This record gives sequence, C-alpha cells and structure tokens, in this order.
Amino acid sequence: MPYNGKITPVQMAFLLHPTIVATALLLVPAMTERHAGRDMWLSPLWALMAGFATLLTAWALHKRFPDDTPIEYSERLVGKTAGKIIGVLFIFFYWHGSGSLLREYGEFVSGTFLMETPTEVIMGGMLIIAAYAVRGGIEVLGRCAQIMVPVVVVLFMTLILLVSRNLDPYKLLPMLEFGILPSLKGSIVPQSWFSEIIAAAFLLPSLTDRSKGLRWGVITLLFVAVILSLTNLTVLMLFGELAGRLVYPVMSAARYIEIADFLEHLEAIVMAIWVFGTFIKIVVFYFLLVQCTARVIGLSDWRPIVLPVGLLILISGIWTAPNLQQLVHALGTSIVFELLLIQLGIPLLLLAVALIRGKKGAPATAK
Amino acid sequence: MNSLISRYRAWLLVPCLALTSLSLAGCWDRTEVNDLALVTAAGIDRAGENAVELTVQVFVPRAGGGSQLGQPGSAAGDERSVVRSAKGKTIAEAMAKLQERFPRRIFWGHAEVFIIGEKVARTGIREYVDFFLRFSQPREHADIFVCKGEAKKVLELIPPLERHQAEVLRELSESKVSLHVTLKDLAEMLVGDAGDAALPYLTTLPPPVGKGQQHTIAYIAGTAVFRDDRMIGTLNQQKTRGLMWLRDEIKFSVVTLSPEEADGFISFYLLRSRTKWLPRIEGDRWSMTVEITTEDDVVENTTSLDLLDPEVTRALEAELEREIVRRIELTLKQVQQEMKVDIVGFAEIFHRRYPREWRKVQDRWDEKFPEVEVRVEVDAKILRPGVSGSMITRPKDERRNR
Repeated sequence: MPYNGKITPVQMAFLLHPTIVATALLLVPAMTERHAGRDMWLSPLWALMAGFATLLTAWALHKRFPDDTPIEYSERLVGKTAGKIIGVLFIFFYWHGSGSLLREYGEFVSGTFLMETPTEVIMGGMLIIAAYAVRGGIEVLGRCAQIMVPVVVVLFMTLILLVSRNLDPYKLLPMLEFGILPSLKGSIVPQSWFSEIIAAAFLLPSLTDRSKGLRWGVITLLFVAVILSLTNLTVLMLFGELAGRLVYPVMSAARYIEIADFLEHLEAIVMAIWVFGTFIKIVVFYFLLVQCTARVIGLSDWRPIVLPVGLLILISGIWTAPNLQQLVHALGTSIVFELLLIQLGIPLLLLAVALIRGKKGAPATAK
Repeated sequence: MNSLISRYRAWLLVPCLALTSLSLAGCWDRTEVNDLALVTAAGIDRAGENAVELTVQVFVPRAGGGSQLGQPGSAAGDERSVVRSAKGKTIAEAMAKLQERFPRRIFWGHAEVFIIGEKVARTGIREYVDFFLRFSQPREHADIFVCKGEAKKVLELIPPLERHQAEVLRELSESKVSLHVTLKDLAEMLVGDAGDAALPYLTTLPPPVGKGQQHTIAYIAGTAVFRDDRMIGTLNQQKTRGLMWLRDEIKFSVVTLSPEEADGFISFYLLRSRTKWLPRIEGDRWSMTVEITTEDDVVENTTSLDLLDPEVTRALEAELEREIVRRIELTLKQVQQEMKVDIVGFAEIFHRRYPREWRKVQDRWDEKFPEVEVRVEVDAKILRPGVSGSMITRPKDERRNR
C-alpha cells in the first residue's frame, strides 16, 4: 500500500541524504574523535558497512513485497500480533527519534545563536513548518528535498573551500597509531546514523521507477560517507586534537574562516545548512511516524493525525533529555543500540523469517 | 463551513504569512545594533590574590560630520573607543560586573584581540582560555598576546594611525613579522604533545616627545614562552625570528651581514622560505635535521662588492647560510638548553614519524627534549641584486675588480 503520490528515485536520494547527514555533521565528529582520535576520518568509511547492510536488507525485503512498507510485510511475515508489535516498535522508535533530533536542532540553535530563546519555541517553530510539509504528502517532501539539498551541498562545499587555507595536513599523522581498533570503535556512533537509511524501506514502494531504487540508495550512502569523511578530515586538519573537545567542531570551523578582513563571521552559513538539512530530516521522520501510526491502527486517512502527532513529537523532544550533556551521552550510548536494533536488527530478523519461510508478497495487484 | 474556508483560503494565508515575518526578528534574542557594546579587545590582569581584572575596549560608533546616515564613520577627536574594567573571581564574574557599567549589552562577537597581562601569564592561563572557548560569543580566530605590565594600560593607549589598539595589534599580527597565535592555536598548543606554548609578547613603544603618555602603540617585541600554561620567560625579537625559521612560519626577515671580503654591510630581504624537519632515532640518540631553503633579494649594499658577479653571489650565499644557521642556533641554545621548553614543535614531529618510540618518552619529554641533537642546514639562494648591480653610488675606479 504505497502512499498517495509518487517520488522519483533521485528525489528519494535527496530525502535520504540529509536524513543521515544533517545531524551527523553537528555532534558526531566530536563523538567520533573521542574514540578514533586522529583516525576519525576513517570511521565514516567503516560505518558505511552498516549502511550497506541496512540498505541491502531493505532492498531484499522490498523485492519480496514490492508494494508494502515494513509495517505491512512484518504482519504478513510473522503474523498479525507479532507484526503489530513490530509496528508499535517502529512507532515508538520514530517518535523518540524525531523527538531527539528536534531537540538536537533546538539545542544547537539556542546553544550557539539564540541563547535566550526557550528551546521549546525554536523546536515548535520548526515543527509547525514540518507539519505543513508532511500534510502535503510525499510528493511535497520530495520536491522540498530536491530544492533544498543542492543548496545545502553547495554551501557546505563553499565552507570547506573557504576554510581550506587554514588546514594543516600534517595533523593527520601518524595514521593508525594504535592500529585499526580506535577507528572501528569510533565508527559505532556513525554506524547508527548510517542505519537510518532504513527509511528507504518506507519510500521504495512509492518510487516512480522502482528498479532504480537500489542504485540511488547506494549513491546516497556513498555520498554520505564522502561528506562525513570530508567533514572529519577538515575538522581534524584545522583543530587537530582539539576537535574532540569542541561540541560543534563544524560550527567552530566556520567561525574560523576569515579572508581578507572581509569574509568572516560565516556562522550563518552553518545555520542555513543546518536548518535546511534538519528540516528534511525532521520531515522524513515525522512523515514515517505518521504513516506507521496510521497503518498500525488501520486508519483510512492519515492527514488528520499529522498535527496531534506533531505535538507528541514536541513533547518527546522536551522529554528526551534534561540537558545537552545527557542528550550527547544518550546519543553516544543507548541510542546507538536503539538505532541499530530497530533499523538494522528488525529488518534483518524479518529477512531471515522471509528466507526461512520462503514467503513472497502477493504479486503487485491493482489497488 | 468547509466550503467557506476553502473559498477564502488564499486570503487567510496572507495574514498567516505576514505573521511569520514577526519571528524573523529572533524572538527573545532580538538585539538591535545600537543596543550592543561591541568589544574589540579584552585584557586580563591580576587583581590581588585570587581575582582577575577584566578590561574591555568597546567601539564607539559615532556618525561623522558629513558621512551617510547610519554609517559609523570615524569620529573626529580621540575618543573612538571606551575602556572599562571590572574585577571578579572568574572572567565571567568580572564580565557580569562590567555589564553593570555599560548602558548597552556587551557583545563579544567582534572581539579580535585578547591580551594577557604578564602577571597573570606567570600564574597560568588555562582557565582563561577555557572561558573564551566555552562562551559562544568570542571567536576562535581572535589573536592572543601577552603584554609587559598590565593589559589594561595597553588597551588605554590611543594609537595615532589606527582607530584603536585592537586594530593595531591585529594588523601587526597579520603582517607576520612575529608570531601570530590565535585562540585555537593556543588551545592546540596546550593540549598538544609537548604542552608548551609561545605567544607574542607586547611592549609599549615610547611616545614621541611632547605627546601625552598614551599617544603611542604597543607592538610585538618578542615571544612569551610558556612551560605548560605558565609563562617562564621571553625571547627577544631576533630569537623570535630564529624560532619562526624553526617553525616554518617566517614570512618577513631582513638579514644583514658583513662579508669577509670587504668592509661594510649587505642586507638581504627574505622572499620565501621553507623549513623541513627530518627526525631520526638511532637507539637512544634522538636527532633532528632542520632543512631550510630560502630565497632572498639584496636590498642594501654598503660594500664595494660587485653583486652582478656570480662568484661573489655564490660566496655571499654561503655567508648568508652561515648567518642564518648562527641565528637559529642562538634561539635553540636559549629555548632548548636554557628554558628547556619545546615550543618548536619537535614533539609532534617525532610523534608523527616515530609513534612507537614516542610513546616511550612522552611522559618524560621534558628531559628528552634538551638531549635532541639538532642540525640546521640552510640552502640560501640570492635571486637578484636589487635594481642596481654593484655599489651604484661609488666612483668607477673604486669598484673592486675580481
């Protein structure tokens, strides 16, 4: 049961890219550095493996049930009760996920720019726009992404280009000083981010050209890995060992830009990257949460629940952590397991069941 | 009801869109430029046992006589900035007290210069660096200095050429005649392998006769050397140059030498220079070869040597090389043998090349560093004799024939 509306595979890539990268650019570099040290730029490349595992699982399941989202095929694979439980797990996961990423956004904005504005107001503002977009349906989201993401990528590249004259490649040395292990450890947090590619499983049924779904999924993952690795390289070559001690290294890097007494105070660019990127990410999570909820309860129309669900997301954002420290701690510890378990574990389990029982979805019927 | 809404939908949207523009002002954090006191420079001094005195220099925007509306032109008169200070246990506390003395909100986003008084520097600077890196307004790019005497005095100076003292120091450090250290660099040095730091050291230029005590500037007169985060001494400007050769930061230098073959002096102007470090560990012997390649022009010649003669040039190159080596060794002697602080960055260089050996000595690098044998090799090239060949002002017969 696809959503009413179709998106092109390219639009899917544009939706999925910020779904992983948007928040990964902020807190993750510092979190990676703490484990990987100088080899932090390698970690996203290791983490890419988790991304591929997730994507391939989603693709294999999609091949078996081309018209279904995970909510439907989990019911068909493991039975109605167990399937509903999985559905509810997804609901809670996307509820918590969208809440904590909304909070990350709020924390960043109020922590660095609008210090006196209550975080709730910042989160609320974002949520209202997101609700408006989600109500528009998947086509609106696809088009939003298509317009915003290229802008984000260009801005980001500009930023790296501008800071490049302050970079010192020697700070990367010695590479692999303590072997390969630190960079692997550092890849655990990015891994959980990469597993967010599971959103593809929900989007694949709505593609105009399903055969190209996998190709664009892979392109998305590779591009994400390149961007994250490039980010870590830049941060490392600029700040060296200091990178792990800054909360938002990318932001600090942007503040460091100063060209000819004229091109300075470019934090606003980071802000633009951020607001656009996070908007797409929030919208994707929000949309999936609404869809999962509507499907698990069996609603015929999902639009009426968009606003109430939004309110719940806001509450989840407020509840998720009492302060930034706790949020960062959770993101580096328990949320990692949550993300990997739900986004990689459950699909793998479903795939295993499908393989054992040899089940296949009904051939695409006219719906 | 529903049809009513849909009919007027477009009209309902207009006020909604108009309302959203309200939020663009930034809600609670709405600030107008004329409500802000823009800090251009800040200084930290010691005030008693456990207190610091924070001094800020605030830009005074004032529309000039005929300048355009709203453009803060350079005002006539001397008061182009205001300097005020307050004391506190921490910088944040001093800042809060300082705020009481300003009708406008103190804004740090444009603070480009931080000056640390020598007394504070000698007791440790880590905690102050923390404040400037933790508080989100000051920028990591701000330049940082240590000054002789009180930082407050430096900020109170009224420079004749630039708008205010912060501008003077910024231009000075941009010109790279001496060390240029940003807040980020300092933090990196403090967490680095050696943990030692070097900052530019300011001295006040004596004011011209007949002018007030304050009508002068502070300039960079050397380097303040830190072991860990405490200042332990200074290098003079000449040794600072040596340090910059060693750190591959030299951008501007005039080397003057008196050639053996003739009386008088020849001055060379540095065009470009590149330093390479070749670390080597043989058993317990750690050595470092510093290879410097430099290209120079002649800017002054008071000898009778004919600089167009390739052989003279070759001889001069050798002398220039010796002179540069001598200068660098002078610096090394003080830094490595007397002060025993690794502000050259050898720790990182060894760490990069020999990570395993490095780990064995990293805890006692302080003892190991003075034992490192340093060999300086300079390859100097004199590219041009300037725009005149030999001694242009001498009569023909006085020129030496070779």
